[in-house]
Order: sequence, then C-alpha cells, then structure tokens
Amino acid sequence: MTGFVLTILSSIALYFYTKNLLQNEVEEELYSTEARVEAALNSNRQLFSLPPVVEVKSVQNLLPKVLKDTIIYDPSQDEMELFRELSTYKELNNEYYHITVRTLVVESEDILMALVFSNITIFVIAFVFLFYFNTTRNLRLWKPFFDNLEQMKTFSLTKKDPITLSDSEIIEFSELKDQIMLFTNKVRDDYESLKQFTEDVSHEMQTPLAIIQAKIDNIINEHEINDKQFEQVTSIQKDIQRLKQLNKRITTLTKIDNNQFTNIETINLTDLIDEKIESFKELQFVNLVHNSKKKLFVSMDVYLADMLINNLLSNAIKHSKNKEEITLVTMDNRLVISNFGEEALVHPENLFLRFYRESRANQSTGLGLAIVKKICDLYGFKISYQFEVDHHVFSIDFSK
Amino acid sequence: MKYLIAEDELDLQQSIVTYLQRDGHVCEVASDFHEASEKVHMYDYDLIILDINLISGSGIDILKILRKENKRSGVIIISANNSLNDKLEGLDLGADDYITKPFHLAELNSRITAVLRRGKFGGDERIEFNEISIDTKSRTAYIDEKSMALTKKEYDLLVFFISNKGRVLSKEIIAEHLWGDHSDLLDNFDFIYVHINNLRKKLTSAGAKYIKTAYGSGYKFIED
Repeated sequence: MTGFVLTILSSIALYFYTKNLLQNEVEEELYSTEARVEAALNSNRQLFSLPPVVEVKSVQNLLPKVLKDTIIYDPSQDEMELFRELSTYKELNNEYYHITVRTLVVESEDILMALVFSNITIFVIAFVFLFYFNTTRNLRLWKPFFDNLEQMKTFSLTKKDPITLSDSEIIEFSELKDQIMLFTNKVRDDYESLKQFTEDVSHEMQTPLAIIQAKIDNIINEHEINDKQFEQVTSIQKDIQRLKQLNKRITTLTKIDNNQFTNIETINLTDLIDEKIESFKELQFVNLVHNSKKKLFVSMDVYLADMLINNLLSNAIKHSKNKEEITLVTMDNRLVISNFGEEALVHPENLFLRFYRESRANQSTGLGLAIVKKICDLYGFKISYQFEVDHHVFSIDFSK
Repeated sequence: MKYLIAEDELDLQQSIVTYLQRDGHVCEVASDFHEASEKVHMYDYDLIILDINLISGSGIDILKILRKENKRSGVIIISANNSLNDKLEGLDLGADDYITKPFHLAELNSRITAVLRRGKFGGDERIEFNEISIDTKSRTAYIDEKSMALTKKEYDLLVFFISNKGRVLSKEIIAEHLWGDHSDLLDNFDFIYVHINNLRKKLTSAGAKYIKTAYGSGYKFIED
C-alpha cells in the first residue's frame, strides 16, 4: 500500500520535474536555432523559411518576443502536433524581421504515460520479486515455529508419546523450543505425580477404613450398647461404604487414564443391558424398560462395558425417585437412556465433571458420569445429554 | 480350627482375631513377612488370612512357600488394591479367595467358612445347623430333610446367617453381602425386611425360630 502511494507521488514529482526539464531544453534549443537563423540572415540577407520549423518574414515594425505553445498541422506526420514556438522581431541591417522558430515537443500525456508505465512496471516486478522472496524465505524461517505450534495443539497430557519439536537456526525459536520442551516435560511429570498421588491416597485410605469397619463389627458384637447407639454405629457403615465406592471409582478413573483396561472384545450391549436390568430388578428397581430395535455390538473392554451400562443405569435410578419408567433404547450404533425429571439441569455443561452434583438429595460419589464420559472419550464414542419433554435423555453414539 | 492371620496393621489384625475367636477357633498372628513365612513353614493351619502387602515382603511370596512345601491350608488374600491382576495372580498361586479392604468381618467370616467347607469335604459341600442342612452345590436348603422353597436371595441370606451365627448383622452388612456395590443405590434398607421376613416365615412354619432381632434394627441368627 505504502509502496503504491509512493509510486504515485514519485510519478507525479517525476512528471513535473521531467516536464520542466524538457521545456527548458526545448527553449534553449529554440534560442540557439533563432541565433543561428539570425546569424544566417546577417550574412546573406536572404529570406528563407522551413515551415513549420523556421519561418522568416520581413515586417514593418518590431514587436516584443513571444514564447508559446501552439498546435500546428504537420503534413509529414499527418496529424496535429504540439510545437513550442519562439517568435522574435529583430532589426538586422536596417531591416525588420519576424523570426519564428518552432520545435516539436513531447506531449505531457506521453511523458505521463511513460512515467506511469515504467513506474508501475518497476513496482509490479519489485512486488512480485519481493513477495516471492519473502514468502519462501519466511516459510523456511518460520517452518520450525509452525511445526512446533502444531505439535503443541495436538499435545495431550494423557498421551504417553513424547512431544517432538523441530529445532531452528533462529535463536529465539530455538529458545522457545527448549522452553516448550521444558514446560511440557514438567507438566507431564506433575500430572503423572498428581495421578500417582491420587491413586496412592485412595489406596492408603483402604486400610484405615478396613480398621474402622472391623472395629464397628466388633463393637456391635462385643459390647452392650443400646438401640440408639447401634443405629448410629451401623450408619457409619453406610458412610464407609460410600468412601469405599469413592475410592473404587477414583482408582477406575486413574486406570482408564493409564490405559490399563485392555481386555477388548466385541460385546453385545443389548444382552448386557438385559442382564443388568435383571440384576437391578432384584433390588426392586422394576421400572426399567429395554426396547431393542437392533442388537448393538461394541468393541471395548469387558469390564468397562459393564461399568458404562452400570453407571448409566445407576444414574437414571438415582434421579428418578418416584418409580417413573426408565427407558433404554438400543439401535444401530446408538444407545439412548431416558428417565423422568421435573426440570432441566441448571448447568448441563457441568454434568460430566467430577464431583458435580445439582442436588444433595442422594449420597452419590459424583463420579459415576465422569467415568461414563471417560470411557466414551477413551473409545471415541460421542455422548450427549438433552432435556426433552420432562425427561433427561442420555445418548451415546458408538460409530467412529 | 487353627487360623493364621498375617496382617501388619495391628488394629485390623486384632479385630479379626476377636471376631473369629468367638467361634472357639485358635487364632495365631503374624505381623510381618518374616514372622508369617516362619510360621507357615513351621506349623500347619486350616486357614491363612493373608495381607498381600506385608511389611518387608509380599503375601504372594508366602503363597509360593505354601505351594513349595505342599501345605494344604486354605488361603484368603486381603488386599487394599482392587486390581484384577493381583486377584488373578493370587488365585493362580493357590489362594482360595480374595477380599478387598475395607470389608465386613461377617463377610470375611462367611468366605472363611465357604473355603473351609470346600477344603474339608472335597466337593461335598454341606452346611448343617440343627434341623437345617444346606447343599451348597445344588444351592438347596433342607429343613428336617424336606427341601425349602427359597428364592436366590433368601438362600444367600440363610447361608450368610448360618456362617455368622451368634453375631449381630446390621442391615448395612446384609445389604452389602447380598447386593455388593449396588447397595449404595438404596436410599434405605427397608426392603431387606421383606427378604428377611419371608425367610423367617419359611423357617418358622417348620418350627425353626432362629432369626432374632437385635437392637431394634439388626439381626442375629441364634439358637432358641
């Protein structure tokens, strides 16, 4: 853009400068021709003309000299041409002469055209050349940078393979690469140790829990306690059970992260759901309806498949208090499970987050759906949640 | 019966001992790997309760010693780690059962009786309690030689009661035994009453009044 403006400004300046230069040159030439004509007249006193370039006439009186532009028909060119004309009146040997000398001048338009044309040509050539030069050079210079950027975009904490960054001759890029390397390694290490810590904590909690549990079991057998104390002591058992579940789920999440479930088989989810419904019916959950439009086969770890269905069903059961029907539909590559709900969730986007609960009503671990999501992510299944006509609807798309 | 409890957490070890001694069993203890390996080397036990993570050594190695010396003790592994691999490795090396911390002592006890039953009678797995006898292979219970029509859950309940006879069982313990992890779905354990009452009715109609209520909300299987 600036280049273009500069070209225009320089063209204009050049135009005026050149025009002025040419005019001075032309006038100089006119004066010199006039002086020669004068000298010739002086020596042989012969009137001669060479229209339109030189015309000499005898006149009666002297007039002031005139310098002007004029347009005259030039028969040799067969067109109207612009001439610069100098007409002077001179007294030579006591006679008055009117000497007119003319010379062809280059027309302004022509100058302008030439200038603009040459300038544009230069500009375009320079532009093309610079563009090409810059792009190739920049591409080469920035390539490591963009390569590394791409690497960072695909960087994932959970992936085990190390990040591979390209080095560059540019010091800044090279430093950047070293820093990224440092950061990613550090982040990975921190993540690993955090994961390990979580696993260790939940692991270490098991033994104290076992001790509490065992002591309670002995208290209710060994000591004379009253009914109220019995009630309180045994309700602790329920809390222990909850902690046990929590631990188990945290461990499961970590194991999924560590890719420790590798017993992959083709599983008939339709049959698995039927089995699960049967076992839930033993727990008096009889409001489960399974509608199979087509047998659903999925390739995944056996234990995780069990957990997936289990957690989805448990979640539906927990949140449909009044024995309303829970519907499961299996079809080609798709599972839909819906249960009655009075109102939509306030923050459905948080649904799959760990420890996210919208009510304190039931004592859930807050990890069931987080595990479901994790399993889906592991295999690239797409899970979605919608609230449709008084129903919470979860649907999983198993197609890859 | 002679038991060895190899557990390095002394509180847990003592609680287990207290619970099991009530049936008149002899309970010896080992608090670390060396003590445990020494004892299994020197003595014979009917049953060993083995913590997989013993201080200064692994319970897995104790299993290897048992196998090498061809000892025929029943082994129940207790572990803080709910990992399938550990479980399979333990069972492969000759352990009879595997239980994950935290567990109910009643649950441990019912597993112990099951292991002992299998070990002792070599397949003819019968439980006897006065006029009640249970064939665990065909999962049928008899009272005065007449077969009882029990549902699956009632049967499990009866076996669990007899294994833990004389002990107080809370609803929580029973629910966890019968339904495992699913029991956390239950808001209350009211419907356990239904199962227990049904079982009780079936027993009482044949003259067996062993299921007693304890502390208002617990149960105890006890002779009249």
